[in-house]
Amino acid sequence: MWGRRRWITGTTVAAGTMVLLYFLPLFHVVPLEQARQRAAVAVYDPVEFVDWFWTEQLIPGAAEAIDAAELVATVQQDRQLARETHGRRVGLGGAYYFFVAGSGRIVSVDRYSVGLALCDDQQQIQVLLETGPIFGNAVRDGTGLLDVNDFANSQDFNALSAEINRRIEQQVLPDLRTGAAIGVTVRFVGCAEILDEGTDLSPLRIVPFLVEMP
Amino acid sequence: MTRTSVTSSFVAWLCDPRAAVFTACRSMLPALRISALRGMLSLPLLLLGLFLAGCGGGSSDRPAGPPRVAVIISTLNNPWFVVLGDAAKEHATRLGYDAVVFDSQNDPATEAAHFDNVIASRFAAVLFNPTDADGSIANVRRAKQAGIPVFCMDREINATDAAVSQILSDNYSGAVAVGQYFIKRVGESGTYAELLGLVGDNNTWNRSKGFHSVVDRYPDLKMVAQQSADFDRAKALEVMEAILQANPNIDAVFCGNDAMAMGAYQALLAAGKDSQVKVFGFDGADDVVKLIAEGRIAATAMQFPKLMARTAAEMADRYLNGDHDLPQKIPVAVELVHQGNADQFGDYGRRDAD
Repeated sequence: MWGRRRWITGTTVAAGTMVLLYFLPLFHVVPLEQARQRAAVAVYDPVEFVDWFWTEQLIPGAAEAIDAAELVATVQQDRQLARETHGRRVGLGGAYYFFVAGSGRIVSVDRYSVGLALCDDQQQIQVLLETGPIFGNAVRDGTGLLDVNDFANSQDFNALSAEINRRIEQQVLPDLRTGAAIGVTVRFVGCAEILDEGTDLSPLRIVPFLVEMP
Repeated sequence: MTRTSVTSSFVAWLCDPRAAVFTACRSMLPALRISALRGMLSLPLLLLGLFLAGCGGGSSDRPAGPPRVAVIISTLNNPWFVVLGDAAKEHATRLGYDAVVFDSQNDPATEAAHFDNVIASRFAAVLFNPTDADGSIANVRRAKQAGIPVFCMDREINATDAAVSQILSDNYSGAVAVGQYFIKRVGESGTYAELLGLVGDNNTWNRSKGFHSVVDRYPDLKMVAQQSADFDRAKALEVMEAILQANPNIDAVFCGNDAMAMGAYQALLAAGKDSQVKVFGFDGADDVVKLIAEGRIAATAMQFPKLMARTAAEMADRYLNGDHDLPQKIPVAVELVHQGNADQFGDYGRRDAD
């Protein structure tokens, strides 16, 4: 009799526990990749990411940039060669990017850009440094340091561009605008986005993320 | 059940009767569990299904003939997506597959039903244009679990472990380019209106946000009206007429797609304001590119649907032939089309493309 009661009580408790665990499980099993993605989504903050990217990758990566004078000379001789040798494409489509560094003498200053001549004997504008506002993906896509496949979706990747551009406008361009005067020498590192070869190659329009002036 | 899903179920039944009946039965089972009454109503249908399965007499092996590829498109009610679907079908056929196009009618439930059919009918691969970046993930995962690779076209899903590859149009960056050209043509001051697409669609907001990331930097440029016209030409005409009545002196209108740009242009033409108000679109539709070349519409953004469809079909073919080393995301640049370069574009792409 007692044994039967005990058996019924035990079964009821076990069933109740199982029902409880069904509705309130102690843990969930999810695929590893899915868990990684959830974690990435939960912690992704473009401002924080750009903080890290700027100091750990972008500034140290400046050494990889092609010399601006060499690039301009190649573009003048053979656009296709310049594109194939130094250009960088992202995915499919006509747009491509150059990652460039150099120094030049300011020969023009206007509202949105500063014109540089790269050689001492040159008076023509060979390179334009943009002074803002900055739009587009020149720095995000031009360096080759960031890959869309490392981000959960394109909105996160676009947020990165907006944050890089904001940082350039706030931390890099004020000095350039303030110090811009004809004859001043500027050292720069930046990226150029070539959407239309007819207009974007000559002069080369560069979004600088590093600017040094005496 | 919508007419399209009935049609697609019928198509699936023709392809593989037993698999289609399995799908039908599967969709009935939850109803059987939930309600006895529903169960009673479903029982005769279930028996009919089993009878049809018996009549089908097909084997459980893969159906004879070339392997089949499903092309599941978010909606065929928009010419741009018709081009995407047709191009995907054409390229899959060219690569030796039997391609079937499914229309999800912008309805996630219809899309899920298509995936049920595709899985049950054992299609070899899916070329997929999702209806919802989050809602479509489950469908792609189900196909993956069933061993059917999925390749997203144009629109992405918010997961990188479900589809084999995603060939994506960067709407935000395209709209940034349109915004920059907008400033060049309209100037840094003035008034404009914006026609939005479907408010529940990701691309509506990617385009709007990209455009505003530029124009909102110019405080003297004022948006006087922002209304949805659902990506629809006729609705855009009506909305634009109403906007013009309240704001007869606007300088420009930005439209979230080219169908709406055409509707807006028609309204402006009827009101005699087509030379006063500059129209900006998005997509790269042929009729808009022609009007840009004539200087009647200011600009659009070319999205290359044929290139995306061809790339998706080629990647599916590579995967099915054993090449599993494919990138998860392939961005496809969106290019600005204006009067200065309109002659380089046409037929939903660049004229000089392959």
